[in-house]
Amino acid sequence: MLRLYLRFYLALVASLVLFVLATVTLWHFTGGPMEQTGITLGRLVQNVLPPADSPAAEQQEALRRLATGLHGDVTLFDPEGMPIAAIGRSLHTPPDVHHEGMPFTLWSREHASYVHLADGRWLAASVPIGYSHPRFMFHAALALLALAIGIAAYPIVRQITGRLERLQRGVESLGAGHLTARVAVEGRDEVARLAESFNRAAGQIEQLVQGHKALLANASHELRTPLARIRLAVELMKASADPKLKSGLEQDIAELDWLVDEILLASRLDAVTDALATEELDVLALAAEECARYDGAQLEGKVVNIRGDARLLRRLLRNLLENARRHGAPPTQVRVAQDAGNATITVWDNGPGVPQTEFENIFRPFYRPSDARDRTGTGLGLALVRQIAHRHGGDARCTLMADGRSCFVVTLPA
Amino acid sequence: MVERLLLVEDDPRLAEMLSEYLGQAGFHITVAALGAAALERLSGAQFDAIVLDLMLPDMDGLDLCREVRAKSDTPVLMLTGRGDAVDRIVGLELGADDYLPKPFQPRELLARLRAILRRRVRGQITAERSLHFGRLEIDTAARAVRLDGVQCDLTGYQFDLLLALAEKAGRVLSRDLLMDLVKGEHLEAFDRSIDVHMSRIRAAIEDDPKKPRRVITVRGAGYVFAKAQD
Repeated sequence: MLRLYLRFYLALVASLVLFVLATVTLWHFTGGPMEQTGITLGRLVQNVLPPADSPAAEQQEALRRLATGLHGDVTLFDPEGMPIAAIGRSLHTPPDVHHEGMPFTLWSREHASYVHLADGRWLAASVPIGYSHPRFMFHAALALLALAIGIAAYPIVRQITGRLERLQRGVESLGAGHLTARVAVEGRDEVARLAESFNRAAGQIEQLVQGHKALLANASHELRTPLARIRLAVELMKASADPKLKSGLEQDIAELDWLVDEILLASRLDAVTDALATEELDVLALAAEECARYDGAQLEGKVVNIRGDARLLRRLLRNLLENARRHGAPPTQVRVAQDAGNATITVWDNGPGVPQTEFENIFRPFYRPSDARDRTGTGLGLALVRQIAHRHGGDARCTLMADGRSCFVVTLPA
Repeated sequence: MVERLLLVEDDPRLAEMLSEYLGQAGFHITVAALGAAALERLSGAQFDAIVLDLMLPDMDGLDLCREVRAKSDTPVLMLTGRGDAVDRIVGLELGADDYLPKPFQPRELLARLRAILRRRVRGQITAERSLHFGRLEIDTAARAVRLDGVQCDLTGYQFDLLLALAEKAGRVLSRDLLMDLVKGEHLEAFDRSIDVHMSRIRAAIEDDPKKPRRVITVRGAGYVFAKAQD
């Protein structure tokens, strides 16, 4: 990607180069207007002066007329470089007496201008007569000007696009979940207005997300307080209470707690792009802890360390184990392995497995296969598994194993 | 001595039930439904501990916790119905001594309350040397392990083994590493294998030693002490 400031700048430089080239070409095709001026002037001077072989006094007189009102010294040299006539101080001999080339070429040397007349004589004056090397001087001036503009434009272009770049970084930062990201409003132009609009939008998003968060927190609190009450009530039941009833109630509470957790987590993962609370984790140990909660869950593998959110990854493992318990048959097998820098968790069981046509569908929230034996559960479990894997930069999918059975594979980057 | 508790909970029925439950356990309970009322009670009487709900109608439990901390060092146990871990950490950083997520196991609440009260009696220095995992407390100062506040029977070597595991909770430790971590002057290490000690430890601290949830075996890798024991 070519950066914007570079494109602006390159366009400017290109137009400068084009301008210089066009001017030079135009100069060339018009025959050089300034050189022409010099030649015309030389011709006029020669026409006014008496011929080269006229007496010196005549030439002196002609030179005097020529120099009237000219605040400077004028000297006329013969083709050999010897002074013929002079007004005021005698000037230096022409630098290149036997110059051959275009007549009426102008020279500038040692504070004097020299015109080489067609008959070989030289006229020198201490004040400028015309342009010396007009083509070179003009081109040099043009090039210098272009260079100056080119250099001066760089910081200006950089400054304008720099604001755009800062704005872009602000937008990106917001997108990455830093809801407090704002950009500085510089200047009073469109970019500044864009920055203002961005800040306003970011403020609204932040408010919205904060509101959502507060709502989730309140919902969580409101739902869990009655659960805490029920749990206490179970505990307060005297020993006379039926232990089977008591344990049944305990299970119901746990299930409701699970449900609350699941729904709130799903809506949080959907809506709030908080940065994950990552820490260094041992996936095998995490899997061992979660497997210990389930009868008949068998774990194998080796230690794999990754960075991740322990709470979310526990939920991921628990949902996979819970899914196997509900819809599969024991034993549930869990394997933790390392594969090209990723941690892979594979879960399968002895049950009928997942038909190949359902491999993707089962990850959809609230999806229920038409032939599901067990209709319990929130319908969010596997969707959460995938969401959590994605939040860690990994993936969760259902595939076939070598023996034709289906399994769940979660990959998590280290 | 009857220990006095201030219970700050806006849900009247939960407050009533908690009063009854903790009352049965021998505490004297004062209930405040609002943060303002709690502050009023605190200025009028001396309490041994405060059980504080994070969400109150009139003020944030965290703010209340901060105010309590500014005035006294009465231990605070926070109850929270909010699931996010950040709030829990913030709660502890603000000076709460412990927290429990709702819906909590009543027995766990009791165990944790007793633990923070014990710490208060012994002073703050030992507090940091005590490890808590759900209902389990590993007291390194007294070299004792308590489940629901009841002391478990462990030998010195078994305690060291458990401590080595618990200090690296959430990590799989191989048998060799464990041996290295606890090697020392204990002679008993040599005549019995580490697995036998593990089953003794399980018998002492697990609710069901046949289905261990605290000290877990990972086949072919070693042992792991569960970090989350809810």
